[in-house]
Amino acid sequence: MSYQMQRITVLVVEDNQPMLDITKSMLMAFGIGNVVTAKEGGEGYEKFCKHNPDIVIADWMMKPVDGISLARRIRSDPKSPNPFTPVILMTGFTEKKRVFQARDAGITEFLVKPFGARDLYKRIAQLIERPRQFVRSEDFFGPDRRRRRDLAHQGPFLRETDFMNPELAPYRADRRKTPREPNVSLSQPPYEGDKDDLL
Amino acid sequence: MPESTTPYPFDRKPRRKAEFIRPPNTLKQKVGSGGLSEEILNRAQALLENNTVDFRPLGEMYLDSLMRAIHQALSADLEKDNPEQIISAMLYPTMQLKANGGMFHYPLVSQVADSLISFLESIDVPDRDAAEIVLAFHTSIRAVIMGKVTGTGGRYGDELREALVDACSRYFERHPDKITKA
Repeated sequence: MSYQMQRITVLVVEDNQPMLDITKSMLMAFGIGNVVTAKEGGEGYEKFCKHNPDIVIADWMMKPVDGISLARRIRSDPKSPNPFTPVILMTGFTEKKRVFQARDAGITEFLVKPFGARDLYKRIAQLIERPRQFVRSEDFFGPDRRRRRDLAHQGPFLRETDFMNPELAPYRADRRKTPREPNVSLSQPPYEGDKDDLL
Repeated sequence: MPESTTPYPFDRKPRRKAEFIRPPNTLKQKVGSGGLSEEILNRAQALLENNTVDFRPLGEMYLDSLMRAIHQALSADLEKDNPEQIISAMLYPTMQLKANGGMFHYPLVSQVADSLISFLESIDVPDRDAAEIVLAFHTSIRAVIMGKVTGTGGRYGDELREALVDACSRYFERHPDKITKA
């Protein structure tokens, strides 16, 4: 028994034709039934409204409309056929500030270029197996930005059991110390992802 | 009344309200379970590895764009021109070189461009010295593409990357004030 990928539609938005072709051919090799393509975010949104795809994979830097703007439109435009559609953003950027920027625009997953077939598959499998819940607040609508599981709560240790957990040993010296450096993401449930898993 | 010194004053603003929504997992409903086989993933990977796209025209296009941005940086009036715009103009083609090099058999281009992105993301002001460093990266990437150095370049690739990273380190040793505060 394996995924019945022929049942889904994926929209790929990429301005670089060779990259668009190679991404499309990998998705077809996965058995995806319908791969729709567009060359920039504006055209991408038109195709999104027309085909209502199950997944959108978009490049970040495109002109005139980039991948971030496309994601924002998918999430917030009243005409959007499905604001919950998962969006995978492809980019060469890995800097934390860029990841935050993408995350705040409502991106679901981040795919760092250059990538291999397994990287692409992992992101899609993540959408299928561990979908994010959505958050609506005064200034944000999109996938829950917390992802990676924290080893412990961020406050002081209070219970005896906190002191028995070997994973927390490095933090016992300073009871107020944050268990780990502020991370790009917090996960729930835990995900044993690879180094490229930035969100 | 003296000002509150507690870390949690009673007049703290109320927390923002957030609504959590768990949309139906239609993807899962459509595809079922079981994942994809190794055979399928290998086939997809083979498509990528055996692609016959000639990266050089694409690479040259981004190098030309990077060179224009370098000239703009070299001739910029840092008092008047927007430094962020100048850095962005260099960042865009560099990001494209990084993204595309590795996809089309030039991983060394991706590695070198990645170091350049880190450098550009670390500076606030694109001064002349910084522009010279970007120029050195440009020359190196151009040599890799023109020399058809596919793959990681072996020892040559390692030495090239180390030399460029050293140049960036020397720049920050000379100009510790130029590291971005962002």
